[in-house]
Amino acid sequence: MSQTASAAKKTASTKAKAAPTVKKASGPKKARTKKKQGQAFPFTAIVGQDEMKLSLILNIIDPRIGGVLVMGHRGTGKSTTVRALAEVLPMIERVKDDVYNRSVSEYIEGEKPAKGQKALTPEDLTIEDIPVPVVDLPLGATEDRVCGTIDIEQALTSGVKAFEPGLLAQSNRGFLYIDEVNLLDDHLVDVLLDVAASGRNVVEREGISIRHPARFVLVGSGNPEEGELRPQLLDRFGLHARIITITDVGSRVEIVKRRHEYDDDPQAFLKKWTREQKKLQRKILKAKETLSEVTMSEDVLTDVARLCMQLGIDGHRGELTITRTANAYAAFNGDTAVTMDHVRAIAGLALRHRLRKDPLETLDPGEKIERELAKVLGEAEEV
Amino acid sequence: MIAFTDIVGMDLAKQALMLLAVDPSLGGVVIPAAVGSGKSTLARAFADILPEDTPFVELPLNVTEDRLIGGVDLEATLTKGERVVQHGVLSKAHGGVLYVDSLSLLDSSAVSHVMDAMSRGEVLVEREGLSEVHPADFMLIGTYDPSDGDVRMGLLDRVGMIVPFTTQNDYRARKLIVNCVLGKKDNEDTEDELKMLRGLIKAAKEQLHLVSMTKEQKEGLIQSAISLGVEGNRVDVFAIKAALASAALAQRSDVDEDDLKLALKLVLVPRATRMPQQEEEVMDEMPPEDEMPPDTPESEDQEAPEDSSDPDEEEQEETPDMIEELMMEAVETELPDNIMNISLAAKRKSKSGSRGEALNNRRGRFVRSQEGEMRSGKVAIIPTLISAAPWQESRKKERKKKFGKVNTALVINKEDVRIKKFRDKSGTLYIFMVDASGSMALNRMRQAKGAVAHLLENAYVHRDQVSLISFRGKEAQLLLPPSQSVDRAKRELDVLPTGGGTPLASALFLGWETAKQARTKGVSQIMFVVITDGRGNISLQSLYDQDAAKPTKEEVQEEIEALSASIFADGIASVIIDTQMNYLSRGEAPKLAEKLGGRYFYLPNAKAEEIALAALS
Repeated sequence: MSQTASAAKKTASTKAKAAPTVKKASGPKKARTKKKQGQAFPFTAIVGQDEMKLSLILNIIDPRIGGVLVMGHRGTGKSTTVRALAEVLPMIERVKDDVYNRSVSEYIEGEKPAKGQKALTPEDLTIEDIPVPVVDLPLGATEDRVCGTIDIEQALTSGVKAFEPGLLAQSNRGFLYIDEVNLLDDHLVDVLLDVAASGRNVVEREGISIRHPARFVLVGSGNPEEGELRPQLLDRFGLHARIITITDVGSRVEIVKRRHEYDDDPQAFLKKWTREQKKLQRKILKAKETLSEVTMSEDVLTDVARLCMQLGIDGHRGELTITRTANAYAAFNGDTAVTMDHVRAIAGLALRHRLRKDPLETLDPGEKIERELAKVLGEAEEV
Repeated sequence: MIAFTDIVGMDLAKQALMLLAVDPSLGGVVIPAAVGSGKSTLARAFADILPEDTPFVELPLNVTEDRLIGGVDLEATLTKGERVVQHGVLSKAHGGVLYVDSLSLLDSSAVSHVMDAMSRGEVLVEREGLSEVHPADFMLIGTYDPSDGDVRMGLLDRVGMIVPFTTQNDYRARKLIVNCVLGKKDNEDTEDELKMLRGLIKAAKEQLHLVSMTKEQKEGLIQSAISLGVEGNRVDVFAIKAALASAALAQRSDVDEDDLKLALKLVLVPRATRMPQQEEEVMDEMPPEDEMPPDTPESEDQEAPEDSSDPDEEEQEETPDMIEELMMEAVETELPDNIMNISLAAKRKSKSGSRGEALNNRRGRFVRSQEGEMRSGKVAIIPTLISAAPWQESRKKERKKKFGKVNTALVINKEDVRIKKFRDKSGTLYIFMVDASGSMALNRMRQAKGAVAHLLENAYVHRDQVSLISFRGKEAQLLLPPSQSVDRAKRELDVLPTGGGTPLASALFLGWETAKQARTKGVSQIMFVVITDGRGNISLQSLYDQDAAKPTKEEVQEEIEALSASIFADGIASVIIDTQMNYLSRGEAPKLAEKLGGRYFYLPNAKAEEIALAALS
């Protein structure tokens, strides 16, 4: 299946050459710009799968939601959707050419002046706008490429020990996507859990000592039949979207039609969808601005707390996630006050994977959440 | 070398390959066939009908990750003094064919990489300091013997066509194959035939752009996919492409019935998870794994084909009649006798993922190297050298400064050491054999269900798998092949019918078979959990020899004991949960435990947790 059989090939020679830095390897090494591998299928042209699309959008609006885990049937466009995400993402500011995508304050914090040197001030730095990065972490990745390692070429040719940042560096302030996340090797899961918890990546090796911020929105996808996800990792994901086979003939005909159009002439197809894409982008941007004004009343907050309690959700992460998600959802809808309707729309996404597992429970988690919600709202007769 | 045109038989497989040659975006062809069917010969002969210089790369089963994905070429890197990259097998197949023989035996991590490459059309190399994208747009040809196990559904999902499995042996055809092998056929004929075929395919490729399909035809195929319960939406595109390619091969510009039928046979029917007449209800959350109520295979078998001509089907109005008829025809011809075999798909779904596999330092197949302590495993020499290489210059400088000279050609530090990581299915496979006969069956089912669920809840930690066998009536049945899915295990137990005879021997035999197959896939520890009153009364013999005299109780018992002893000798551990009420007990279950060399628990009213604990203890 040749979706985007792009010949875009990145070779070692096209890689940005770094200025040799002997002692302080964290010096101003030029950022590697990932070559675009052909234009992705437009996000807005994807038919159905609203749960997944909504969860991704809410994570753009508020990255603190903590990512999305998309689990479900194969062949339903999981990875297509995530890869399409890049095109609707807003821009962020970073210090020019910084390999860690750091903002000005992060940069100053990270680049402590050496003895006798003056501390950096914002005026010393040039900034640039880049699209929020989306980084793919393939299953076969080795730990050194994920965390970063010595720049082999430089070391071989000149004996210089320069740090070559890894995928974690590239994904700072962006999205880190792992397809088939349930098949990821344990040692990589450990690395991810560690970094996700601390928000920074630490590499220590002879003469190299690097700490850099690595805060990313973790997006994972997979098919549950291929294997279970490690509980600690499951817990890391803010939202859990389910995806199933579309069984409506009309929608499926539409999917085939769009796919065909895209394969036939990608440029024309993208052009056709530009307006929709722009519209969504604007809506997201607006929501990001609105987010700070969104408030949740005491009443709603109480109801949310009651819901979490009745569902027996441990810890505060569940409550925090559902609150943030509801806020983002309200902002996305242009509202500044969160209501229980907002909460209801996203409760399943935020709580589904946090319910305590009861082996003999036959009720679907979504239904259970819905039932408890109705109880909290006094809509159902108390049993 | 036997040419494509010389191969006799396997017509459908050949047709599939020709469609693929016409439209490579069909992704590939998977051919399940028995040993000696000539499937690998056919697959290799596929190169004959492709344009010259099309890469044809065979993927060896024991491939390591760096060979598959690509990595640093150490030799060239050291001689040149700069990094030299070696493309992996996946990338070498770019623009051509990747061929895997015995696809079902391919390591699941390798399967994941193949899948990933197929969905991207390229390989992301993020390894050992490399960060590159290599093109990898290829057609996958996979052949396998279904008795070796199944191919992962995720992979099949990315392959356009799956040739229906047939065991028929055409003697005429085999004779011809033999003649070909012996070189009795005229070579010139072969060359001419091949030329013609290549010409035909070339013409079809040009024709392909001119073929069109009506909206009704498309809708018909999509509706068929839905009716057959095929998972995912990707198949729609494949089915349409197959029909178009088929029309192009016939130099037509419209798609006709034959094209649709071929698309149904090669793309949709092999992935069916249910019979088309069944109600929509099954398509709610997840498609059913295997909907047939296991209790009535005989009666359903006979009814199914008749149903198809039933007036009932007219109720499905949205399906264009023609397609529906074609679909039924395709279903019937490919799946003649047994509804349980509606497709390999339903069975295949059971294939558990690689979660049962753990990387370790000692056993299994070498897949990659990783940082580690020298003493903790086997040192991977080359990766160690690679990781040390970049530091040589700087370390030598430092040493010179410190000691004034450098004595060794290579300075290798502790951090450079790379240890070989092997992939091995560690963890235990628990094979639950649940006695579904007699009156206490319901109770046992409930217990087993809870116990299985408990075990699986911890499965991740222990990397365990469970398999389920129920036995009642004449024969034991494998409800769940080794799997880690809690949901599936629960679902299988939900629909379990009860009552009837107790074919304990059949269950033990089936369990043993399952164990043997799991071992070929690297599972080393196996435990039987038998939940029964131990009173088997149906012999294995009677299953295979209908005319035999009814065996006596003693004979049945003898059979069970002999089988148990062999299973014990084969190194399989067992736990026997006796569920019989004490006042009825005649000590069969303890005897069974003794013969199996297993532990015995008397738990007539056991709670699920207790059974799980017994199995874990």
